[in-house]
Amino acid sequence: MKLELQQGSRSRILMGLVLVVVIIYIGRLFYLQVIRHDYYTLQADVEQLKSRVIPAKRGLIYAMDGNTPVPLVMNQSVYTVFADPQIIKNDAAVAKVINEVAGGNTRSNFESLLAKKDTRYQILATKLTHMQAEKLKEKNLLGIGFHEETQRVYPEGTLASQALGFVNAEGNGNYGVEAALNERLSGIDGQLRTVTDVRDVPLTIGDQNIHIPAKDGDNIVLSIDRNVQSYAEDALKRGLDKAGATQGSVLVMNPNNGQVLAMANYPTYDPAKFSEVQDAALFNNAIISAPYEPASVIKTFTIATGIDRGVITPQSTYVNTDSIRVYDATIRNAYPGLTGTRTMQDVLDNSLNTGTVTVAQRLGDGTNINRQARDTMYDYFYNRFGLGHGTGIELANESAGLVISPEQQEGNAVRYSNMTFGQGLNVTMIQVAAGFSAVVSGGNYYQPTVVAGTLGEDGKTVNGKEPRIVRQSVSAATSETMRTMLHNARQSVNYMRDADKKGYTIGGKTGTAETLKNGAYVKSETVGTYLGYGGKDTPEYVIMVQVAAPNRNLEGGLHASPIFTDVSNWMIDYLSIPPKG
Amino acid sequence: MSYSSQQYTARRQQNWGRNQNTTRYVSNVKLGPVAHTVLVALMITVLGLIYLTQATRATSYDYEIDRIDSKISELAVQKENLEIENARLTSLNTVKNSTVAAEMTSPAHVSYTQ
Repeated sequence: MKLELQQGSRSRILMGLVLVVVIIYIGRLFYLQVIRHDYYTLQADVEQLKSRVIPAKRGLIYAMDGNTPVPLVMNQSVYTVFADPQIIKNDAAVAKVINEVAGGNTRSNFESLLAKKDTRYQILATKLTHMQAEKLKEKNLLGIGFHEETQRVYPEGTLASQALGFVNAEGNGNYGVEAALNERLSGIDGQLRTVTDVRDVPLTIGDQNIHIPAKDGDNIVLSIDRNVQSYAEDALKRGLDKAGATQGSVLVMNPNNGQVLAMANYPTYDPAKFSEVQDAALFNNAIISAPYEPASVIKTFTIATGIDRGVITPQSTYVNTDSIRVYDATIRNAYPGLTGTRTMQDVLDNSLNTGTVTVAQRLGDGTNINRQARDTMYDYFYNRFGLGHGTGIELANESAGLVISPEQQEGNAVRYSNMTFGQGLNVTMIQVAAGFSAVVSGGNYYQPTVVAGTLGEDGKTVNGKEPRIVRQSVSAATSETMRTMLHNARQSVNYMRDADKKGYTIGGKTGTAETLKNGAYVKSETVGTYLGYGGKDTPEYVIMVQVAAPNRNLEGGLHASPIFTDVSNWMIDYLSIPPKG
Repeated sequence: MSYSSQQYTARRQQNWGRNQNTTRYVSNVKLGPVAHTVLVALMITVLGLIYLTQATRATSYDYEIDRIDSKISELAVQKENLEIENARLTSLNTVKNSTVAAEMTSPAHVSYTQ
């Protein structure tokens, strides 16, 4: 049998040729698509498949304005203008346009940068607004490009800057809420992997496309009230100027839920210009990161411990001789002269160191600050009032402070006698104010917090978090007694009593701490503190004030208390608390 | 072959019902192998064109999506800027320095309704 091709028909020859060509094509295609499949797939992917990160938007930070959240930290898109000097032909014309549109944002020598023809990338202007960038884009300048980035903006300026912190150039939060809640604020970046055309437009064709949307960061609502914060900052500055102090802090808390309403420090800084700050210490929020010896405000805790343990009452007496011997140390009163039989209320009114040492003795065998007394004090100070360890507030760089345990050699009777009036321990203002809040507001220790919740979907409501009671520090009866004692203590000082609004229960305690220099206490520099509460019948707010200056004697009563009074009277109006009767 | 044909007939007879008419149409047009090849090639071409049309249409949708995405981004930036402007205009400093605030006075006495 002969092959058909051999029969000589032209059509059959043509068919044969086509067959050969087809076989060649098929062979070639087989080679390219099957044998070299992986190689060419990879080549195509490299050229066509583009992966890019979809950046998550950093969450905004809000403060409260009464019951309404208002933005404190927002995001703004800004643009960097760069040039390829080799492409730009008419330097003068380009420079003129850029000067017209972005005059305030240009680099000082940007015209000379255009002349560097041996380079391919020069930044001409930074932080242009969207409008400026759009105007420049409309000019269609050849060799000019734009790079978009996001920066934090602060509509309220420097308000609460040390509580907020800032975001560095890498997009990471530093200090304050920005650092402490960095993960929640950052969100999770998404991913886009897609085939693109020559213009980088993503195409839906292709079976390897991946689109994982970004999860934006949480919009955090702080418990800080911008009105309280603003007033506290102003009052602090006024008070410091009047006292001749150079630094100070004001902390305002709601003792009934642990929320911080204001955290004011002076000096402060502008978070929008954090890169211009010369002294990094300005970034620190002294209220949470600068432990100190708060002195006599701690007497509140000593008296509360004694009452709660049932070893004293406000009417309990002791004989004051203005000094008391504790082993090899002699403890003296800061204000001598009130010798004789004194009550515990007198101890608080006149800040008698000998009185609080007596309380400590009564926690033991009555005459010595023995191990039992020290263990009890440590249990109350450290465990119940939360002194000497971090509170867990949502702010970065919180210091633990130090309350030495009786188990340590340094935790001896002399130290504990000093601790009764606020020396020999290091605590932060937030620790003291949170413990004090428990003492005056029924005994419950609430977790101190600066976070009220997250912003609701509608942008107006707050998905609040429930206040958390950590423990019962003292009994409700002890708390009620302490409120009365602190109120009486404030009432016993004429200038404080007269300055308070009438018809309210306001109480507090002064503290004047000698400072430690080279391991020894010096009398030439003291730090003044005032710690108090206010409200109608029960405390609505707790305010702690600290004032200091190098080589100046600043007192709790004369210098810190007026700031407390200023803020306290304003708080009564702001919270619309009606007077008694 | 003859065995196969007989079997085929037998099956048909089994499947057809009684009294059913069967018609066998035979076209007068005969297509040769070249015509078949051309027709197949044409069909492949048409299918290719259909595929290309659909692919092009999908791509045009991609451009539309890209254009809309860009518009959304631009509007989001504008919204963001307006929100910032709004926040600045309602900030405490702006309010404090406003003419309205300048004309406000502190109340001499406050009374509370019980």
